[in-house]
Amino acid sequence: MAIVTSPAAGEARSLPPAAARAGPRYWLHAYRRMVVWNLVDLRLQLPILASVLILQGAGFVVGIGLLFRHIPEPTATFLVTGIPVINLITAGLIFEPQIVADQRSSGSYEFLQSMPVPRSTAAMAWYTVALATALPAVAISLAAGVARYHLHLVLTPALVPAILLTSLTGVLMGYAVAHAIRAPMVARLVSVTLIFVLFGFSPVTFPASHLPAWLAQANRWLPFGSMATIVRSALVPGMTAGTGRAYVVVAAWAAASGLVAAWAVGHRR
Amino acid sequence: MAAGEIVSDTGSAPPAVGRGYRHWLASYLAMLRFDIASQRTWLPMFVLTQVLFGAGMAVIYGFYLGPMAPQEALFIVSGAPAIAAIAAAVIGVSSMVTERKVAGTWDFIWSLPVPRSAVVASTLTVYTAMTIPGVVATLALAAWRYDVHLSLSPVAALDFVLAALMATSMGFGLALAIRDPLVTNAVLNALIFLVLLFSPVVYPITQLPGWLAGAHRVLPFYYLAQVMRAGVTTGLVHGLGTAYAVLAAWTVAAWAASAWVIGRRR
Repeated sequence: MAIVTSPAAGEARSLPPAAARAGPRYWLHAYRRMVVWNLVDLRLQLPILASVLILQGAGFVVGIGLLFRHIPEPTATFLVTGIPVINLITAGLIFEPQIVADQRSSGSYEFLQSMPVPRSTAAMAWYTVALATALPAVAISLAAGVARYHLHLVLTPALVPAILLTSLTGVLMGYAVAHAIRAPMVARLVSVTLIFVLFGFSPVTFPASHLPAWLAQANRWLPFGSMATIVRSALVPGMTAGTGRAYVVVAAWAAASGLVAAWAVGHRR
Repeated sequence: MAAGEIVSDTGSAPPAVGRGYRHWLASYLAMLRFDIASQRTWLPMFVLTQVLFGAGMAVIYGFYLGPMAPQEALFIVSGAPAIAAIAAAVIGVSSMVTERKVAGTWDFIWSLPVPRSAVVASTLTVYTAMTIPGVVATLALAAWRYDVHLSLSPVAALDFVLAALMATSMGFGLALAIRDPLVTNAVLNALIFLVLLFSPVVYPITQLPGWLAGAHRVLPFYYLAQVMRAGVTTGLVHGLGTAYAVLAAWTVAAWAASAWVIGRRR
């Protein structure tokens, strides 16, 4: 009798019963574990990433101003209020695909996917870590911009959903690229191309009127310009129109990226 | 007699091998073939990357500036070739050197029975030559985008070659001198950021704060742009002698750094 029950008892101690490995409590527990996993796994990279984001944001704010002999105030406001978008989505959109590409190259990807946690917790844990890594850069870039160009920005409550949604969309887009594209080289190439598009061809830190009409029109359906609109409208109320539409566009990109990411990490191979 | 002949043959043969300018020239030509053959799939990508980077940045600067005066457009167009040359050196040449380092290709190359100076000369020749088409294509695209008319100087080709040689030598020396590929990557990314945002390549140096302008009177990027700008514009560039001197000094320094790294025993 004892021989029969002993393994079962041991198993019960090491693993929760099947019924306990579901539900919000288990999800929350797994989420916390995955946040810790991310923090430990990326303990060397995260401080570097946070520093790079700060230097990138503050450097961009000051450096672009040098292009102008005298930068007009609306242009400076556009520049400074667009930088938080770049800070918020760089970790998710650029860093994550590179990390996953490295995991695929080194063979640790399959191991990470085999962890006994809901895969949504891994995504949400990375979202939390990416957001926390980007927030100091957002604050410092805004402070640098305000100090450099003597601007007056207002921190309205709308900044909270704007930041949360922008970062979430960046993370989900990066997640979709990282997990749906299996060839590491292609994933790296896509992420590098995306940063080029973000910096140079999207009305994030300059007005859409500076773009050719066809590109400005295309950007109405792409996520980056709309991300800038929702963040900008929270920092300078009344400066931009179409905030509601911008929320819809960004949310749609978040949903679509989430679906692609869920398909990529969920389907059996 | 026969034995004497054999002794004479073996005694005279070694000094004739591996010495003299003829051997150096033959080695250089052989290494040129080696470099072109080993890089043949990568070289078109190298040119494409530099054109996309140079012309792309010229277009992007315009988006940031918005409606601009003809003088500003001329500065961007005449600065675009310098961006392309720097991209070729910092992204292309350095990547090639680092890849060879990681793959152990340099160890193989240094073991070849050719003078190491011929190896370096060959690599610099190939990459300097391959930089020129990208630079010209970038210039043409930027001029077309901004509808700017350029006035080509008779020495424009020489200016472009000198600037490309300097950029290539810098990229080569830097990537060779830094041992850790990760550190090389970080330094190169920082350099690109510095060049694109904080260097007076597509705008006048007078727009910089005094201390930064002072730094650029020592660094090579401003002078690289000045030399290339002088080849395609008139009246914009003054003090070209200083620009040539500074570029020459950086080129020689890059060669010296490369020679020191290559020449020392490990």
